[in-house]
Amino acid sequence: MLDKILNSKIWATLFKGYGFLFLGFLYLPLGLIFVYSFNANSINMAIWTEFTFDWYLTIFGGASSQSSFDAAFTESPDRIFEVVKHSVIVALSASTVSTVIGTATAIALARYHFVGKRFYQALLVLPMIVPDIVLGIALLIFFVGAGFKLSLLTIIIGHTTFLSSYVFVVVSARLAGMDTSLEQASADLGAGPITTFRRVTLPQIMPGVVGGFLLAFIISLDDVVITYFIAGVGSQTLPLFILAMMRRGLRPQINALAVLLLLFTFVIAAIGLYLRSRKS
Amino acid sequence: MSFLKIASAHKAYKTPEGGLIHALDDVSLDVRNNEFLTLLGPSGCGKTTLLKCIAGFEDIDSGEISFEEQSLKGVPAHRRPFNTVFQSYALFPHLSIANNVGYGLDVTGVAKGERNKRVEEALELVGLAGFGSREPKQLSGGQQQRVALARSLVLKPRVLLLDEPLSALDRKMRENMQIELKNLQHSVGITFVFVTHDQEEALAMSDRIAVVANGKVQQLAAPTEIYDEPANEFVANFVGTSNIFSGKVVAKDGALLTIETANQRQVLATSDRFGRGDHVELVLRPEHLKLAPSGNGIPESCIDGTVEASVFVGSDLHLHVDVGKGRTAIVHHRHNRGDDGERIEAGTSVKLYYSPNAAHLIKAIGR
Repeated sequence: MLDKILNSKIWATLFKGYGFLFLGFLYLPLGLIFVYSFNANSINMAIWTEFTFDWYLTIFGGASSQSSFDAAFTESPDRIFEVVKHSVIVALSASTVSTVIGTATAIALARYHFVGKRFYQALLVLPMIVPDIVLGIALLIFFVGAGFKLSLLTIIIGHTTFLSSYVFVVVSARLAGMDTSLEQASADLGAGPITTFRRVTLPQIMPGVVGGFLLAFIISLDDVVITYFIAGVGSQTLPLFILAMMRRGLRPQINALAVLLLLFTFVIAAIGLYLRSRKS
Repeated sequence: MSFLKIASAHKAYKTPEGGLIHALDDVSLDVRNNEFLTLLGPSGCGKTTLLKCIAGFEDIDSGEISFEEQSLKGVPAHRRPFNTVFQSYALFPHLSIANNVGYGLDVTGVAKGERNKRVEEALELVGLAGFGSREPKQLSGGQQQRVALARSLVLKPRVLLLDEPLSALDRKMRENMQIELKNLQHSVGITFVFVTHDQEEALAMSDRIAVVANGKVQQLAAPTEIYDEPANEFVANFVGTSNIFSGKVVAKDGALLTIETANQRQVLATSDRFGRGDHVELVLRPEHLKLAPSGNGIPESCIDGTVEASVFVGSDLHLHVDVGKGRTAIVHHRHNRGDDGERIEAGTSVKLYYSPNAAHLIKAIGR
């Protein structure tokens, strides 16, 4: 009886409708940002006046062709370039260091037995579930207490603390799926531990390592909460910069900037997903 | 000089529940140069553990493993002159077949020219010439098996360790590989230590078989001896099918013994190792029990029974015969074409004859 109702056409249509609604809920806001980033109306973003590329142009230093454009609505390209550079430096450094630490830890925990292994494992996952705001405050207290001057370096160190956990989880999953007899076979054929790591283990877990790196990279790139606490004067990152722009009102250039950030993240996430899904 | 020698090896594992499993319990074994030795036993008996300890993937707790009088204690796997063929083959998925086979030569720094020549030779040896540029996953199970063999043999090891290498193959392929492996061992002149749980495989291929159970070597002997003269009840039951009857020797006439079984039957056996009054286990192979006397004048033993079930398996008719007191004897009766009229139904009374020479006696345990 219930089967019949659930299989009926009306239900099928309703479920389909619900599915579309849900997807709309997820993606319409992103779509709106995308659409409004081409809207020439600089006073009220929500009212469409005409199509323009100018918001993108101004990001890269182009001059606006329209009279309604006001310097007060745009940030200087130099400033934007500076914060983007900060973000990329932080994301690259933090994810590189995290990849090395996370991968090494994953291998240690997967291949060796030692006292307190379970405890160590739990400690490694903890930074992922500690609320960002707590981690941010804790890092700030630590840096101030330890006499660090807040700078890009403190952001890199701060990001590394929790990004290592992400890399650890991704690489661990890859290691768990790897046949341990491959390493035994390598040793059996005369390869020492370092050769075995270089020639067998690393190529086998490479998709996981690269995937972990890319995941760390995009998380670092858009982190606001933790960065907010540990960024010093002159070390503002792109997300913090956008946040600061927002304080002075919703301005159309933000849309263009957000779309660019979104596209960049999509590309990196797509590469990461592709590598992770690839079977050995 | 002894070749590969295992002396009083012990190894125990902790179970997650806190118990101890004795994977190796005082194992001593002398592997001879150039022989095909099989470690045969049920799963979990310790045979694979022994292989891993020889290969150097695991350490024994006590005892000694030595090769040509040199102790292997503390010698890591990559410095031992042995190579292993893994049950899962363990081919490197990211390397081509040629690079898999050449791996051992590459990491030990063999010159490019010689390396390529030896890889070619090894692939030819296992019948895979021209497969070098393929990927492991493009090959069938049997072919991967051969690559694993080539990868080990190319290094000319002193001992080749094989961990149930045929278990993943289908029956036909397995029988072909048994013959090939045996021939290969002869032609390359390398000692093979072969682990299996398949008794037919062991009997077919080995120069000697070590039957392993509960972490101990139960018997180490040539295949015919293992089959004809099992050292104990475990070996008798594990290798082939056995009918085992407990009894006591009540009379002795030269080598001919009369044994009284628990069923108060008197049966005959030939042995010079037992005397009057000894408690023994009488082991009779199903193919030695006949439904009619041979009529060649040798005194034969005869057991009465009733057929409980008869199973036709093609070459043989397997009879389960109740011989009294709930004991069942299994008889393999050779099937002759056109014998349908003689097909023996359940409930038929039969007499089972055997020659005393066919009976094997083992010492009853605990008497």
